[in-house]
Amino acid sequence: MALIETQNLSKEYSSRFSKQKVNALNNFSFTVNEGEIFGLLGPNGAGKTTLIKILLAITFQTSGTAKIFGLDARDSKWKKRVGYLPENHKFPNYLTGEQVLGYYGELSGMKRDSKMMQKIDEMLALMNLTQWRKTRIKKYSKGMMQKLGLAQSMLSNPDLIFLDEPTDGVDPIGRKEIRDILHDLKSKGTTIFLNSHLLSEVEMICDRVAILNKGDLIKEGNVHDLTQAENIFMIHTVNTLSPEIKQKVSLIDANAGVGDNEIHTETQIETLNKMIDLLRSNNISIKTINQKTSTLEELFINVINKDNTN
Amino acid sequence: MLAIIKNTFREALAKKIFIGYYIFYGIVVLVMLFAVNLDAVEGVMSFADVQKTIISVESGFVTLAFPLILFFALISASSFITSMVDKGTIDLLISKPVSRFKILTAKYIGSTLFVAASIVFLIGSIWLILSLKSGYWNAGFLFTIVSLTFAFAVMYSISIFIGLTTQSSIISILVNFFLIFVFCPVLSAREQLIFTFVKNDGVKFIFNFFYYILPKPGEIKDVTIALIANENVPLWKGVVNELGMMGPTWMSVFTSFLFCAVLYSYSVYYFAKKDY
Repeated sequence: MALIETQNLSKEYSSRFSKQKVNALNNFSFTVNEGEIFGLLGPNGAGKTTLIKILLAITFQTSGTAKIFGLDARDSKWKKRVGYLPENHKFPNYLTGEQVLGYYGELSGMKRDSKMMQKIDEMLALMNLTQWRKTRIKKYSKGMMQKLGLAQSMLSNPDLIFLDEPTDGVDPIGRKEIRDILHDLKSKGTTIFLNSHLLSEVEMICDRVAILNKGDLIKEGNVHDLTQAENIFMIHTVNTLSPEIKQKVSLIDANAGVGDNEIHTETQIETLNKMIDLLRSNNISIKTINQKTSTLEELFINVINKDNTN
Repeated sequence: MLAIIKNTFREALAKKIFIGYYIFYGIVVLVMLFAVNLDAVEGVMSFADVQKTIISVESGFVTLAFPLILFFALISASSFITSMVDKGTIDLLISKPVSRFKILTAKYIGSTLFVAASIVFLIGSIWLILSLKSGYWNAGFLFTIVSLTFAFAVMYSISIFIGLTTQSSIISILVNFFLIFVFCPVLSAREQLIFTFVKNDGVKFIFNFFYYILPKPGEIKDVTIALIANENVPLWKGVVNELGMMGPTWMSVFTSFLFCAVLYSYSVYYFAKKDY
């Protein structure tokens, strides 16, 4: 079931004093399914935060539709089921950590009772902030503020959480803790919409990603599928390849890189099988055949460069 | 809504300006206590004279303090809106299941209630001191609490509108200063100050137009003074006094209320439509 669904969503910003218009989103259509961790990637100014803000009715679209839980995004009925951690969030700095959670908990529709206090205790413990609960947050570090923000977004047990750069300013240990928390949330069925610049983390956490550039959706799909480089294979052999075999391999794929015990080829499956047949018919034992994978970062840079060139 | 109102109180208490405000009020109350101890009220005057003296003291206090209390309250509360619409704060507020109308209204109510509490402290204390000392309990003076709070609520609608549109508390303070101390008093006295020299009907119409649509904090103060003195305040047509000035009417209160209602409604509309 799709929890988030947009159809031809567009957002145009126009300056108050000039006629210049900027398209932050162009006909953006996508879905996020229940229970998945969805990552939104893109360079600065790609339209990622604009998209989150439209979904949460913080900003309004110029055209197109956005639905959350099947309801119009501008309808606030679904908001009780959603948690949100904005980028560079600012909590009232005169409050303590405990008061921040109490305040936003009440705004999320929770009643200030023992159940809520129990939930606050639980969240503070999960974020290792229990000993700081009575401290005013102006004394908190950036990492502590991020953890408090995450706790705030999770407090009312939402079905869907939007996280905009949740690990920004958090140290590696804290990042690992946040990753574990997100995996735990996913195991409980919570849908997570993640916007992050840390591609290695997105790769570790997300099931699906979408890449945005200049307001356009340029790639979307399963992380595993996207990071599989298309048709690049490495064949490792047990036996050393003779010059005669090497020549025959070159006849099958002129661009193949052939070493003494390895063949590197960028080709179609049929050609790969021809190569395997050739090796086996010449009694060459094959040790491994690997399809080369690229990191999400490599993929991201490639698609963005390609899009910018086009 | 209650959470936002409570939080506005916390925000106010966290601001040093409000603590200073209470300390200043405390000093005013102490000065009043000291001044009344030095008075010549006891034993010498008749009750009618006591009544007259107390009304004079209360009216004099309101004449001097009303615009100052109003302006300082507006300065203190002007940042509530601008801090609310700060990037990073407003995003989170709007993402919660509370309508934008409720967010803004809760902030407005919270600010007004906090200012009202400080006015209750100041006016209530002075009323108690004067009443206990003189034995004359002039309930009319307590109307100052209502009228000052009302004047604050009216002028604060300007702070809200400017805070939402410009995100600058300085501009809202300057506009309020100009209205309270310059423009509105000039408009109120336009017949004596301007119309004596200006005979053009078009110019007169413009001045009259601004007079009727803008709030009238000075005239709300005059209504308060009239009520302190237990005088009758006419609904629309004021009585001309011996100085040739028009006396206070309830019209100033109605038109100020109307101004506040229209401006606040537009602020709500603007806030509901704005992209953050």
